[in-house]
Amino acid sequence: MNGKRLRLWDLPTRLFHWLLVLAIVAAIVSGQLGGNLIVWHGRIGIFIVGLIVFRLAWGVLGSTYARFAQFFPTPARVKAQLRGEWRQPGHNPLGALSVLALLGLIGFQAVSGLFANDDIAFNGPLYDLVDGALSNRLSGLHYLASNGLYLLIALHLGAIVFYRRVKQINLVRPMLTGWHEDKGEGEDARGGGPLALIVALMLAVAAAYGASGAWLPEPPPPPAVEIPAW
Amino acid sequence: MKSAVLLAVLSLSLSGVASAQFKSEDAIKYRQSAYVTMAWNMARIKASVEGAYNKDDVIKAANVIQAIANSGMGALYQPGTETGKGWEDTRVKPELFTNKEGVGKAAMAFNKEANEMARIAAGGDVAAAKEQFGKLGATCKGCHTDFKIKK
Ligand code: HEC
Ligand code: HEM
Repeated sequence: MNGKRLRLWDLPTRLFHWLLVLAIVAAIVSGQLGGNLIVWHGRIGIFIVGLIVFRLAWGVLGSTYARFAQFFPTPARVKAQLRGEWRQPGHNPLGALSVLALLGLIGFQAVSGLFANDDIAFNGPLYDLVDGALSNRLSGLHYLASNGLYLLIALHLGAIVFYRRVKQINLVRPMLTGWHEDKGEGEDARGGGPLALIVALMLAVAAAYGASGAWLPEPPPPPAVEIPAW
Repeated sequence: MKSAVLLAVLSLSLSGVASAQFKSEDAIKYRQSAYVTMAWNMARIKASVEGAYNKDDVIKAANVIQAIANSGMGALYQPGTETGKGWEDTRVKPELFTNKEGVGKAAMAFNKEANEMARIAAGGDVAAAKEQFGKLGATCKGCHTDFKIKK
């Protein structure tokens, strides 16, 4: 350690990360319990759509180590890590694979949910856009994918414990404070200013609005036929 | 001849639990129809508790669900309907036929909440109806989780 710290994770990335943790836990619990909580499940899912789109945008607009281009796990990089030659700060190539898999699967989970139904009384906000068979299919995949998600979450947590115990590296603290303790050869994160943040937030809000189905045309008022007494 | 008929009648009545046996396809259709009918009525209650409450409509809907819950639907899971097609391929899990205790528990929990839903609907208290609607839906889900294939 040379005593100098490195600015690693910017504040928006950290906020995204911890909000996603909370939202995913809430989505899993509410999805499993059902009942009236399924309504909250849908709302949380829409929030997650916004979070994911924010992260995708931030992966382009954000600061150095938040960018996909910075940590994209090319085969050459993965090989280097497997040979034990990876020294750079930020996501290492295998970690980056895990990040992309999580973003992809959570994105799929949320999008499939938008069209899903629970065969009881709840439909996703975009249910009306697909026919019943497709909605059933997506509901099944939504369930299937939730098992994949548990697996990825377990791997994610497992890796954190492994780094802590075996490699003596604390991955959680930088995600809280933003600082990486050992600067080494690395450069402080740069970029991701207020303008980028505003653009990313606007994209996120637009995505959540799209997911909410609020833009769907109101169903036409029921024609004024008399409801029969039977 | 006479005695043969007598014997047949006797053996039939002795077989005791004389519930009707249906063609498998029909049995599957009946149960699928009953579930879809319940979904219709769950949607009616939902519309009321989330929008303008229509006490009459909720009573009618809750009574339908209660009636189906107490109709002895278990008989529709007769042997030979583990697989096959009704209106669509059956989505029953094999566990429903093997885990009798589990399915009995799920069905009893559902019956209890369905009866309670009908009782509360008659009272017309919106908040109570909404809460009970959630409890009832959770028992549908409870059975689906263990005994209905997701696809
Ligand atoms: C005791 C278990 C059980 C309970 C309780 C239960 N279901 Fe089901 N449900 C099933 C099974 C099993 C199937 C699959 C039936 C088949 O395809 O043969 C099913 C299927 C369905 C279907 C799909 C039918 C179709 O063919 O499209 C709907 C809709 C449904 N249930 C709604 C409900 C609702 C609403 C409730 C509560 C009010 C409920 N179910 C309670 C076991 C249950
Ligand atoms: C990434 C966000 C999401 C996660 C992690 C998630 C997770 C889950 C989980 C764990 C279940 C329970 C499966 C089970 O064990 O029965 C579930 C069910 C369900 N979810 Fe989601 N979900 C998400 C987003 C959504 C969205 C956006 C919607 C729609 C608005 C939605 C609609 C549903 C429905 C309708 C069910 C019930 C399916 C069934 O019972 O067959 N989900 N979800």
